[in-house]
Amino acid sequence: MKTTKTLLSIFTALLLAQAGSAVAQDTADEGRELYMANQCWQCHGFEGQGGAAVRIAPTVYPFEAFAQFVRHSNLMPAYSPNVLSDEQLRQIFEYVRTMPEPPALEDIPELSDL
Amino acid sequence: MQGWIGKPVRTFYAGDSAQPFSLGGNMAKEDRPEGVNRREFLTTASAGVAAAALAKPAAAQDASARMAAATPPSAAMEAMENDPPEGYSAAEASEYFVKHPGSDFMVDVIKDLDFEYITTNPGSSFRGIHESIVNYGGNASPELLTCPHEEQAIAMAHGYTKAAGGKPLAVLCHGTVGLQHASMAMYNAWCDRAPMVVLGGNHYDATERRTGVEWSHSAQDAARVVRDYTKWDDTPMSLQHFSESMARAYKIAMTPPMGPTVVIIDGHLQEAEMHGTPPTIPGVAPTRPPQGDITALEEAARWLTEAESPVIVVDLMAHDQDGVDALIELAEALQAPVVNQSGRMNFPNNHYLSQGAGVVAQADVILGLELYDTWGTLNTLRDRVHRDHQRIARPDARVIDIGVKDLFTKSNYQSFQRYNRADLSIAGDAQATLPTLTEQVRRQMSSARQASNASREARWRSAHDQAKAASRDAARYAWDASPISTARLYAELWQLIKDRDWALVSDDSQQSRWARRLWTIDRHYQHIGRSGGAGLGYGAPSAVGAALAHRAEGRLPINVQRDGDLMYVPGVLWTAAHHEIPLLTVTHNNRGYHQEFMHLQRMAARRQRGIDGSSHVGNELNNPAPDFAKIASGMGVWSEGPITEPGDLRAALSRALDVVDQGEPAFVDCVCQPR
Ligand SMILES: Cc1ncc(C[n+]2csc(CCOP(=O)(O)OP(=O)(O)O)c2C)c(N)n1
Ligand SMILES: [Mg+2]
Repeated sequence: MKTTKTLLSIFTALLLAQAGSAVAQDTADEGRELYMANQCWQCHGFEGQGGAAVRIAPTVYPFEAFAQFVRHSNLMPAYSPNVLSDEQLRQIFEYVRTMPEPPALEDIPELSDL
Repeated sequence: MQGWIGKPVRTFYAGDSAQPFSLGGNMAKEDRPEGVNRREFLTTASAGVAAAALAKPAAAQDASARMAAATPPSAAMEAMENDPPEGYSAAEASEYFVKHPGSDFMVDVIKDLDFEYITTNPGSSFRGIHESIVNYGGNASPELLTCPHEEQAIAMAHGYTKAAGGKPLAVLCHGTVGLQHASMAMYNAWCDRAPMVVLGGNHYDATERRTGVEWSHSAQDAARVVRDYTKWDDTPMSLQHFSESMARAYKIAMTPPMGPTVVIIDGHLQEAEMHGTPPTIPGVAPTRPPQGDITALEEAARWLTEAESPVIVVDLMAHDQDGVDALIELAEALQAPVVNQSGRMNFPNNHYLSQGAGVVAQADVILGLELYDTWGTLNTLRDRVHRDHQRIARPDARVIDIGVKDLFTKSNYQSFQRYNRADLSIAGDAQATLPTLTEQVRRQMSSARQASNASREARWRSAHDQAKAASRDAARYAWDASPISTARLYAELWQLIKDRDWALVSDDSQQSRWARRLWTIDRHYQHIGRSGGAGLGYGAPSAVGAALAHRAEGRLPINVQRDGDLMYVPGVLWTAAHHEIPLLTVTHNNRGYHQEFMHLQRMAARRQRGIDGSSHVGNELNNPAPDFAKIASGMGVWSEGPITEPGDLRAALSRALDVVDQGEPAFVDCVCQPR
């Protein structure tokens, strides 16, 4: 009985997690569109790797820091809620947060050799 | 540095020359008969030249033929020279023919100044000298290089001089319209302190002008259009005047602060028969550059040796490798970090004292060497509605500013940057001044200070290693991306060139400085610096000009070419093909004027209108995307592309290098990330 219960709760958790990740994935997809449409890539690169501005992906800092950076930065143009809503900002955050890590240095001989 | 006479001259900066020297040109002084002035020599010898000209096709009249012809003329030659051609009376012949055009003498003067090449776009205002260069001068030293745009001709000269250790080129521009086209490129050269002598055609005597175009292409004051950004100009009224003005133009261009000079050559003076006393060629003893005042240098050395955290910042300093070596000596004597702002290649990036700009904030004494922008080195200005600024340097940091910027005397164009009150300002060419400063530093350094050098060295070694590791780490991001990351572009290039004698003939600033972050740059000629005035249309032609200088040394020149810049004077690709100038060009093609995208975006954000859907307007170079590989091959240059996948890049670059190794230009269009 206990085993059944446990199995059931694991099953439910898995289902929920899957649904959760599907939601996160949707958010990231929308975030990707916003990232492209709002030209975040102009300064941060198509992969968020940085360029004219700093690297922003994969993001390790919390959303609050990200929002502060976009809305009240010292360097980048300030994007107010009239241009990017909180919701949209969160979607973009989700996108840059979930970008995959690049290959490790050891796996790039062109760089590890230097 | 060795003496100049009697060896192929590769270093032109006069600052550390141990002996006086004179320029010989391909007609070296020792080739001249003793006691005969050059003009007299040539007047007697020119009958031989004329005979050779009649007997040989023009192409065969190389410089050696011209020199061989400079022997006393035979009786038959003299007759040909003095008698009218068969079927002409003397009076009629004088209406049709000129025996000794003024422009032949002009070519003698140019040869005497040792200009190897003259870049030009042809024009009738200098048809006289054009013919003299080709037939009288044998089109060798100087050889004419055909440029489909005057902006290109100037920028090639600009790139050449920086790659040739300061050796200048001459440029020939058509009157009025040619100089107008040349002007922006001359502005870059002015800002970048690049020497060159620009010759402009003109017709002064209004009654001599052919109707129509010759009027449109003549001016009262032909050099005026570029006077705001040239060091000096003149309009010679006689051949002797020309000869002396050319020597002066050369000297002024080559004396720090270096820059372009202009000599206007009247059409009539070029085309008319020479009469009267033969003009002479004065020759040139280059001016030694000004050095900083010794008392001020003693004080500077005291500040530097007593400082806890001295920092050296350097920009437009090193004219050649000697400048780099002199800076290494000073930096090591102090164990002070060097921030290379890279207007020139001033310091090896693999030296442990090569450090990032951040160290300026820690300094108690800052030594600026030929800084283009001292204020901007010490402060930052925020690009906001209200442009406020903040000091980066410590409030108590003392600044020693050594350089030639106060010796500039023009005011209209504001390239001199915001005023900064230095604590010790020393006028003098920094490279020429460094050895004395270093000597003073060594003399004044206490033993306690000397003893601290070991720990300073350890500290900077560790910081240098950390920065290098951080660059490698940053280069991983977007490694497999398409469009190709700029880091990957440079890393792939490096794999192919690292064991060769290469030179980067472009500025990597718009590619996140990846060459300076990933490559080892330890020779002066390996990095060409900036454009000076940031006038676009500089990149492609300056790279070809630099490649021309490197051709003589058998080096492999690499140009990472921005797409927007290439669109100004793409005709330079044809020049590279036509004159067989080996050069590997790889585009950093971000399909737009990326810098301007960002500006538009900033404005749209500031006005809270957003950029969604509008940023491409006025900024994209897309729809249709220019097919640069086709453009290059249309100009006669081997090409490949567009390459969009990083995995395809190495093989394409390697095929292109095979072409360059055959002595030709090659072009790879690489579609890249924005920066
Ligand atoms: C003659 C000239 N016109 C316009 C500009 C303004 N401008 C500065 S950067 C830039 C974009 C250059 O595009 P590209 O060379 O492709 O470099 P990117 O910024 O795309 O890397 C422009 C147009 C300039 N500097 N010079
Ligand atoms: Mg571009």
